Amino acid sequence: MADPDVLSSAYPAAVSSSVRKHPVPLDDSLAASDGGPSFAKRPRAAAELPAPGGSAASPELDVRALVSLTTGIYPLARAEALRGLAEVVEKADASCSVGSGIVECSYESAVELMRDDDEGVRLAVVRLVGACAQKFSATVDVDANGYGDLMDMIFLQLSSMARDMCTQVRIEAFSALGKMQRVSEGVLLQSLSKKVIKTDTMCGSIINGQKLPPKLKIPCAAGVFSHGIEDEFYQVRTVTCKSLGALAKFSKQYAEKALDLLMDMMNDDTRAVRLQTLQALLQMATYGCLSVQEKHMHMFLGLLVDTSALIRDAARKILGLVTLPKLQMFKSAVDGLVTSLEKNPEEQDVYGILFSIGKNHGSFSANIAKHLAKEITMASDGELILDKPRIKALLIVSISAPFSNDKHKKLDIPSIIFSHAICLLGKISCALGEDVNQDLLLSYLCHKSGMPFWENRSISAEFGESESCNVQKMEIDAHMENPAKATKCLDETIVMQSMKAILETVEGTWNMRMSCNICEVRTILRTCKEELNVLAESSSGLIGAFLSFLCEYLDAIQLIIEIWQLIQLDNLYTFGLTSVDILLEKLDISIRRMECCFAGLNRELEVQVLELSLIAHLFRLSNIGVCKVVLGKLLWVINHLEGLCADGSYELSDFNGEIKKAFNDDLTGVNLISNIHTLFELFHPKPTTDFGMLKAITAVLQVSDNNSENPLLYVCGLPVGVSFNIFLRNISSHHKLWICMTIDEAEVQGALQELHYWFTWKACPMEKAEARTRWIEWHTGMWIDGDFSLP
Amino acid sequence: MSIECLVLVQGQGRRWGKAAWWQPLVENASCLTVACTWATTITATTQTSLVRSLSRGASDFTTAISCIVITHLCRLVLCSHLDHIGALPYFTEVCGYHGPIYMTYPTKALAPFMLEDYRKVTMDRRGEEEQYSYEDILRCMKKVIPLDLKQTIHVDKDLVIRAYYAGHVLKPLPNSKVLGAAMIYAKVGDAAMVYTGDYNMTPDRHLGAAQIDHLKLDLLITESTYAKTIRDSRHAREREFLKAVHKCVSGGGKVLIPTFALGRAQELCMLLDDYWERMDLKVPIYFSAGLTIQANMYYKMLIGWTSQKIKDSHAVHNPFDFKHVCHFERSFINNPGPCVLFATPGMISGGFSLEAFKKWAPSEKNLITLPGYCVAGTVGHKLMSGKPARINLDKDTHIDVRCQIHQLAFSPHTDSKGIMDLIEFLSPKHVILVHGEKPQMAFLKERIESELGMPCYYPGNNESVSIPTTKNLKMSATERFITSCAAEQGKLRVHKGNLVCGASMPEVIGSAEDVDVAEGILLMDKRKAPKILCDDELVEVLGMERHLVQFEPMVSRIEASVQSELQRAKAADLGSEGNE
Repeated sequence: MADPDVLSSAYPAAVSSSVRKHPVPLDDSLAASDGGPSFAKRPRAAAELPAPGGSAASPELDVRALVSLTTGIYPLARAEALRGLAEVVEKADASCSVGSGIVECSYESAVELMRDDDEGVRLAVVRLVGACAQKFSATVDVDANGYGDLMDMIFLQLSSMARDMCTQVRIEAFSALGKMQRVSEGVLLQSLSKKVIKTDTMCGSIINGQKLPPKLKIPCAAGVFSHGIEDEFYQVRTVTCKSLGALAKFSKQYAEKALDLLMDMMNDDTRAVRLQTLQALLQMATYGCLSVQEKHMHMFLGLLVDTSALIRDAARKILGLVTLPKLQMFKSAVDGLVTSLEKNPEEQDVYGILFSIGKNHGSFSANIAKHLAKEITMASDGELILDKPRIKALLIVSISAPFSNDKHKKLDIPSIIFSHAICLLGKISCALGEDVNQDLLLSYLCHKSGMPFWENRSISAEFGESESCNVQKMEIDAHMENPAKATKCLDETIVMQSMKAILETVEGTWNMRMSCNICEVRTILRTCKEELNVLAESSSGLIGAFLSFLCEYLDAIQLIIEIWQLIQLDNLYTFGLTSVDILLEKLDISIRRMECCFAGLNRELEVQVLELSLIAHLFRLSNIGVCKVVLGKLLWVINHLEGLCADGSYELSDFNGEIKKAFNDDLTGVNLISNIHTLFELFHPKPTTDFGMLKAITAVLQVSDNNSENPLLYVCGLPVGVSFNIFLRNISSHHKLWICMTIDEAEVQGALQELHYWFTWKACPMEKAEARTRWIEWHTGMWIDGDFSLP
Repeated sequence: MSIECLVLVQGQGRRWGKAAWWQPLVENASCLTVACTWATTITATTQTSLVRSLSRGASDFTTAISCIVITHLCRLVLCSHLDHIGALPYFTEVCGYHGPIYMTYPTKALAPFMLEDYRKVTMDRRGEEEQYSYEDILRCMKKVIPLDLKQTIHVDKDLVIRAYYAGHVLKPLPNSKVLGAAMIYAKVGDAAMVYTGDYNMTPDRHLGAAQIDHLKLDLLITESTYAKTIRDSRHAREREFLKAVHKCVSGGGKVLIPTFALGRAQELCMLLDDYWERMDLKVPIYFSAGLTIQANMYYKMLIGWTSQKIKDSHAVHNPFDFKHVCHFERSFINNPGPCVLFATPGMISGGFSLEAFKKWAPSEKNLITLPGYCVAGTVGHKLMSGKPARINLDKDTHIDVRCQIHQLAFSPHTDSKGIMDLIEFLSPKHVILVHGEKPQMAFLKERIESELGMPCYYPGNNESVSIPTTKNLKMSATERFITSCAAEQGKLRVHKGNLVCGASMPEVIGSAEDVDVAEGILLMDKRKAPKILCDDELVEVLGMERHLVQFEPMVSRIEASVQSELQRAKAADLGSEGNE
């Protein structure tokens, strides 16, 4: 079946159907095409043929076979052949000559079948033409003019398909229209208006030497979209709206007219259509091609008080992005938002929208601010209720003016606004974005309203806290300078600065471990860790790895402090599992993770980790008494440390030296335990910020096709294949992977007897993006007896 | 073989500013289909010509006409045309036609009422003796065979008809919208045609768009009432309407929407109900009592003829049970506060809508929405033709009109875009335009011929058009012919394949020139089915010997061979009439 030659010979069988009635000896090339009852299935297989692997051999052959099948007499076969062509076209590389040839000849055979009697064939034609259009537009630079006209022609052809009687075809045609590119403005405009627009340029354009067939003059595109939005089926209307929005980015004039059509769709009776319309508008707004006019305002305001929360939300988002040309419109938009807020007070994100709409219209919001200031000063004491949504909303709008981008105008906002806005601090900071620090904002507002506040603030709080505040301040400075940009990926230098500040805090905290309450220390450390976590999440690469290393380090420090506290309190030998034991175990795990989960630890970092493990062993000794195993480990660590510092480039710390001395003095370790206090005093965490080439080693295991909604199906007693994807990052060749499978405890005994598993794995070629990532696919098969869930 | 088209005279009067409309009769060699609308009428004067042209020598209509198909209801009770009568009962009962009559289910359900009203109107207005009685109508209706959508009916051994959904049809008469219209596909032998009746290509809120399969047609007969107009989108009108109503009720005003019972009222009500739901408005919408009962019965019965959305949702709840709509009591008319009221009749010519109008018109807060058309003499017509400050109902009653007036335009028939789309989709070999004005039809004909490249006609009254039809011929082929064809093609293909691969020029593959031609001889014998043969089989089939002709450079020999050649040709002439 996979032999293309055989396939291509299926064509005669398709042409002369009567062959199947007369199976006669044929020559060699025809022997396979008996054209029996299985004929209809033949092209189905052909359609699958160009799937990965097969197409590489000779796509031309496949294409030729499929093209010849498209002229067959059976509609199902034609449709399958077209579908097969679409698959080939999608995989084809249009930039090379072979690829573009394939696309062109597929397109030609699709055009032939555009008026086919069968719906399925027409559907396949639309899909194929759509796929071809995408390929054509990808290669457009080859011959800009010729292809431009070709794109117009495809657009027109798809438009004429969009008036098909079959719903499915219409849906497909409209979605294909939405994916078109490089269509000329005239054609786009014509697609919106049912009336034929007269243009001289389009008539009789010549494409690749062929004159346009008379059917494909511009009128057939006339008003396809206006028909689409009036369609009986909401699916068609939805797709139409989507395409209308998608095409808007190509032409300003088109966008304006499309907006008119889309506004009409707001009255559609299906909510899905309305939502899709809003999405299209949002897309247009994001591309900056949404120019709202006065006549549209009524509709927008109606949307703001819609009963559906989704619609309201979408409408608000759009309003937050658009630019309104007139003050009157701006005011009505703000009023609409206020009304919506009054009706649905739970929707607090209105404030965010108010802020951004105010920010977009700096001078308008300054105007509002002036009026509001007047209102505030006019109102006598107690008359003005700040709690009213309206006042709150107007304050937010006024506050947003200084953040606006039109810097050329100097917008002076009355200071009274700022002083009133102070009580809306939370809302404003929400509007500005999640990461904004309220203190900083407060200081800004105070500064603007002329109140002395931040500068003279006495730093009475714990320095740890203030430090962390400082850290945040740095972040916010970045935000405030450029409020429009929601920087998710923080700047590297800022991260480094904040990291250093955190580490200083940690050192400081270590110093106060004796004097202060343990709880306080713990709180500070925890805050630091959270900070680091936030930073780690927003960074990647080396810094990200280092930050997660530091998180582990802080974990260890925290555990050490806690253990020390317990050891001080209760120095008695106890039996059984105590909280100290648990903490010690945790510490061990933490240290081991630092050792094993990171590759490329430099010497400094390694020494740090080893010191931590020294402490851990010390604690263990003091907890369980003299133990040979622990002592042996201790000795190993000491030797290792010595080895690291042997070349003299790095000096052993006092702590190391003392332990070594104590250990050498008394090999039994009794000395160590008795001197533990002095030894511990000597330990100082000195986390370095030099991380060299640190990399985090990670392994992620995913079971494909298995979730709570679609669980893996299996039958007891039969082998089941479970596919795993294991993603390994930053591993080297000497790493070994240990996979441990556990199956429900209760069943494991019996089941394990019967459990056979085998792995087939294939390593994919490494991709550029993840050069250090290895991707291994596991196919695991196992016999399963009994009734239990799969791991 | 051809389709002959005869256009019958249908009245001389002008109707809504248009010239008399034409109806076609389609005739085929063996049978005759009268695809007529309800409006196909026979007046006393035209009757004789009809009989003459239809019967064609046959003694009566029953033998001359295979069947009658009624595509949709057209005339309404209010019709003011004196020279028309409902043709069907007359045709069956008076003229004595006994053949089958087909109608769609909704048409059949509504026809008796329409006919009876019609009979009364014509009798009243004409002052003539009645041409048929009520009993005639009942008897006639008994003969009608209902027709479902996409149901194929074999009328007799040649004629096959099938109905397709034609969308909603809105007649230019006030507010009447009739569902149940169908397009008729008729096929006689190999000749196929579609008669559209009235149809609409754009759906509205409660009725869908026309729908038809891709058919191989020789002829499409389409109505062309709006051959030149292109309608704008209904969405804009809806938006304006909603905006006006919303503005009015939020200002505390009352909205009066005079409508007829069926069609438009339901559509507007669905629109408003939906808007109310979305905007969470609490203002009551009233329906005066008669409206809902009639409408619901009507629509529930005919749910299959409505739009997709209604079909989808009616299983869950009746889409005509409006959430925000309540019944109106007469006493509510003086209630304060805003409200929306649907009231009959549509042109404020009397009844409840006039009563409400009298009460509400003097306040400038209130709003009256008017339909697109009102008959002259009604209050509606006066309001439409410029905004009068005062309307005199009769000598004693005046109404001060201070309220706002909003006009709702209608979308009757399909527009020229819709006609073009249908023709383009069906791609028939010929198009005939009927049911329109001559200059506009001429314009549309130009467009069809230039843009779609199809011959188009718009025959006038009593003109005939003859259209050639396709004839398919079944023929068999001998095994050897097929084998040789296939082998030939196979070789060709392999050859080409090598060529393409070798030259690595994929542009050539699958191009249009890739058509394979097979040669053979077509043998047509009067007693046997036609057959295709190979060259060398011919001699065998004809049971003759093969003559060899050898040319020698001598004149006498040539003569001899010519003789034998002639003999062979003669033999071949006996059986074969053509070859390919």
